[in-house]
Amino acid sequence: MSIAIKEVTKSFGSFQALKALNLTLASGEFTAILGPSGCGKTTLLRMLAGFEQPSGGEIQMNGKLVASSSFAIPPERRRIGMVFQAFALWPHMNVAEHVRFPIRSHRETPAHIRDNEQEHVERVLAMVGLSKLAARMPHELSGGQKQRVAIARAIAPSPSLLLMDEPLSSLDAMLRMDMRREIQSVHRQTGTAIVYVTHDQGEALAMADRIIVMKDGEIEQAGTPQDIYLRPNTEFVAKFVSKANLVQGRWEQNHFIPRAAASELKWYGGEVSTHFKQTGAYPVRPDQFVLGDALEEGIKGEVVNVQFQGKEFHYDIRADKEQWEVISPRAFRMNEHVTLALPV
Amino acid sequence: MEEVSKVQHGIARSGRRRAGAVRLPLSVVIGKIAALLGAVAVLLLFVWPIARLVHLSVAGEAGLTLSIYNELLNQPRFWSALWNTFIIVTGSTLLSVVLGMTVAWLMAYTDLKYKKLLHLIILLCFILPSYVLTLSWSAFMGSQGMLAELLKGLGIPGEPWSMYSYSGIIFVMGIHHFPLVYLFTVDVLRKIPRDLEWASRAGGAGRLKTFRRITFPLAMPGLAAGGLLVFLASLDNFGIPAFLGTPANITVLSTLIYEEIIGFGPAAFARGASLSVILGIVAVIGTMLQWLMLRKSKTSETTMPDYSPRYLLGSRRKWVGGGLWALLLFITAVPLLAMISLSFKRAYGLGLIPSNLTLDNYRYILFENAKVWQSIQNSVLLSVVTLIICMVVGSIFAYIRVRKPSALSKAAELAIALPYTLPGIVFALSMILVWMQPLPGVNGGIYGTIYILYIAYICRFLILQIRASMTAFMQIDPSMEEAARIAGAGMWRKWKTILLPMLLPGIVSGGLLVFLTALTELTVSALLYSSGSQTIGVTIFSFEQAGNTLYSTALSSLIVLLIAVGGTSVLLLQKWLSRKGLGGANK
Repeated sequence: MSIAIKEVTKSFGSFQALKALNLTLASGEFTAILGPSGCGKTTLLRMLAGFEQPSGGEIQMNGKLVASSSFAIPPERRRIGMVFQAFALWPHMNVAEHVRFPIRSHRETPAHIRDNEQEHVERVLAMVGLSKLAARMPHELSGGQKQRVAIARAIAPSPSLLLMDEPLSSLDAMLRMDMRREIQSVHRQTGTAIVYVTHDQGEALAMADRIIVMKDGEIEQAGTPQDIYLRPNTEFVAKFVSKANLVQGRWEQNHFIPRAAASELKWYGGEVSTHFKQTGAYPVRPDQFVLGDALEEGIKGEVVNVQFQGKEFHYDIRADKEQWEVISPRAFRMNEHVTLALPV
Repeated sequence: MEEVSKVQHGIARSGRRRAGAVRLPLSVVIGKIAALLGAVAVLLLFVWPIARLVHLSVAGEAGLTLSIYNELLNQPRFWSALWNTFIIVTGSTLLSVVLGMTVAWLMAYTDLKYKKLLHLIILLCFILPSYVLTLSWSAFMGSQGMLAELLKGLGIPGEPWSMYSYSGIIFVMGIHHFPLVYLFTVDVLRKIPRDLEWASRAGGAGRLKTFRRITFPLAMPGLAAGGLLVFLASLDNFGIPAFLGTPANITVLSTLIYEEIIGFGPAAFARGASLSVILGIVAVIGTMLQWLMLRKSKTSETTMPDYSPRYLLGSRRKWVGGGLWALLLFITAVPLLAMISLSFKRAYGLGLIPSNLTLDNYRYILFENAKVWQSIQNSVLLSVVTLIICMVVGSIFAYIRVRKPSALSKAAELAIALPYTLPGIVFALSMILVWMQPLPGVNGGIYGTIYILYIAYICRFLILQIRASMTAFMQIDPSMEEAARIAGAGMWRKWKTILLPMLLPGIVSGGLLVFLTALTELTVSALLYSSGSQTIGVTIFSFEQAGNTLYSTALSSLIVLLIAVGGTSVLLLQKWLSRKGLGGANK
């Protein structure tokens, strides 16, 4: 399903949750909406679902108007599936009943599914690895299994759009990694468009075809994961997604001269966005820096914190009156003097 | 109203932009009309009677006057009733708090056995209508009652304690209300995280000091709220002072109002109204204090109660447990047995031997006195109708209140709570004032018939159902409902297959409370009944006033049976519903 969001605004009382949002989502695409809490990403998702109505603008799905400030198709009449943050399983229904429920409820469930209901339920349960648990009740399931039920319920009537509201945030770290694969495989097998809301940039980068970064009810940047990660357009995206350090200095065309450089130090930055060239900063990711002995060429700094992470060290380096995060395979001690370089 | 204009504005705006594609949000319009009608109904049914009451107490021949209050303050009768009320309410509240706190601590923290059963027995004191408890105790303690016989049999000289005294009233009221304190406190105690006590012990404080400095202050909001509730309930109680106080000439505010109204005479209503306003103000202040206390303890609402015992009684468990059982049985079951055995006797004062036993009392009340049978029918019908209306209206209101909170619904909830917040006798008087002449010069045919009882019961007990249903709704995350809608379920299917199965146990237990309270109601009916519309409570009261103790105990025993049957059947229904709800696993 293709979705067009045109000049959509939403306000709750005097608080403006969304400010004139414009966005198109292609059919079959996995879109991640990424942002900190309160950025409006959940409001946007709930609007796509039909639980919120826009205060202005309109939303179209497949070219058909589904919501404006005076009109809204209710959630039950949109062909969508949704996975909720805290699973939202019904305590009085078993796993198979959860999957069967939307097949029977949705008016537009395709006839081939409706006619072969039992078969389809089994197929969906097999897809999420729950075949053996079909008769279990929600309270007899682990967190990961609950989330699989929630996904199975959402994809059962073969919706043309699947909404996911931070679906992994109620799970522990190990399980989250497994579920990422699960969700990717569901996306491959169903070919459904997915809109996935998260505050975890790792999830967005790992799974999405396209990432929309939001802040304060506006879109900061939209693009492929590589675009967003490697070529941030704003300070917020550089910090929030790439965890970049903003090194201050001045630009001479495609070359950057750090403020703290001792001599004729120049960093090449052809791909850095024009926004940073105008503000005189260079966003450097922790893994981009190369850490060297005090005598090598680069910006001088001092180690103020070390964390050993197995294959590498995470350092906090004080340099240029600021504190930067740097990742390096080389071992340095606390308070040791180092230099920071940026190889091209 | 703001929303209406917003929507209309939206329609107008989009109408300009895309002519022909406008859809009138009919549901919004219907919703607004329903809200308006609801607001009018709430004002007329719940607020207007109170306004009439207050107005009558200050209405003079020439405008507003305080002369009725002046006259009241000059009456020694008023001051003695006020003093009696103060002594009785304070004394019984203290007894309830001490008893309730002790039992709550034992139940929350120690490893006593059979806690579920104990919990039910504790509640029994409160489930029994206060007049049944009163009759039980007076049957047990009477000069020829069970205890007197026991003393005589053992050759111990002396008379049992007379229940027709200050101490008797205080005692019965105290044991009737202590379950309220228990209920409020036990949950608060369970929610105090045990590591707070550990931290105190690790910090060097002993057990006693830990209780005094940590546990007790943390339990204080719950305890204070429970204490205030008992204070209000004691102020409201009519049965106990009417049964025990009237023969001993001990009048409290609630019985004083009753006597004023029953005694009629000129200006009886106005005097009753002014007394009611005074009593009502005290009750409203108490409710507000209680609300503040509860708000204070709200912070612990998210923490889960901890049911595992914290203090192991060890070898003392037998003694403590045994003592608690003995105490609870002594205050409920033993007097109840005394009352039931009395109801089978040929005459008051005869010994409990087979030749003295008879079913005559039951035959009389069930078959020979048509009025008694009428009153049983009245009470059952009244409570069933009240139950059904409260369940439907209360649950719909609770849904709106929880899912679409607004200032309007909050105000409506406060108004609906008014009849239950005010003492029953006050509320009953306000009902008389409104329904005697709903419109000036029109009788309306409500007052003096059973319909005024229907209106009064529904208005008074609706809030009980609303609170129970609200709790049930609050336990269901909105996402459960949203998941149903996303899955394509419309209004009807959403309610039938998702919401109702999850809600029913909570709604039904609220309904049980409404049903039992209505079935045994005395205070409101005592003022509102008329010939042909007497209720069970009123009939027992009349028998007792006429000195027919055998009949009143027989009818009371019947009502105990009715409560047991009603309570068990609703509990079974609830169990069946929850099993049906979980039954999907077997399909």
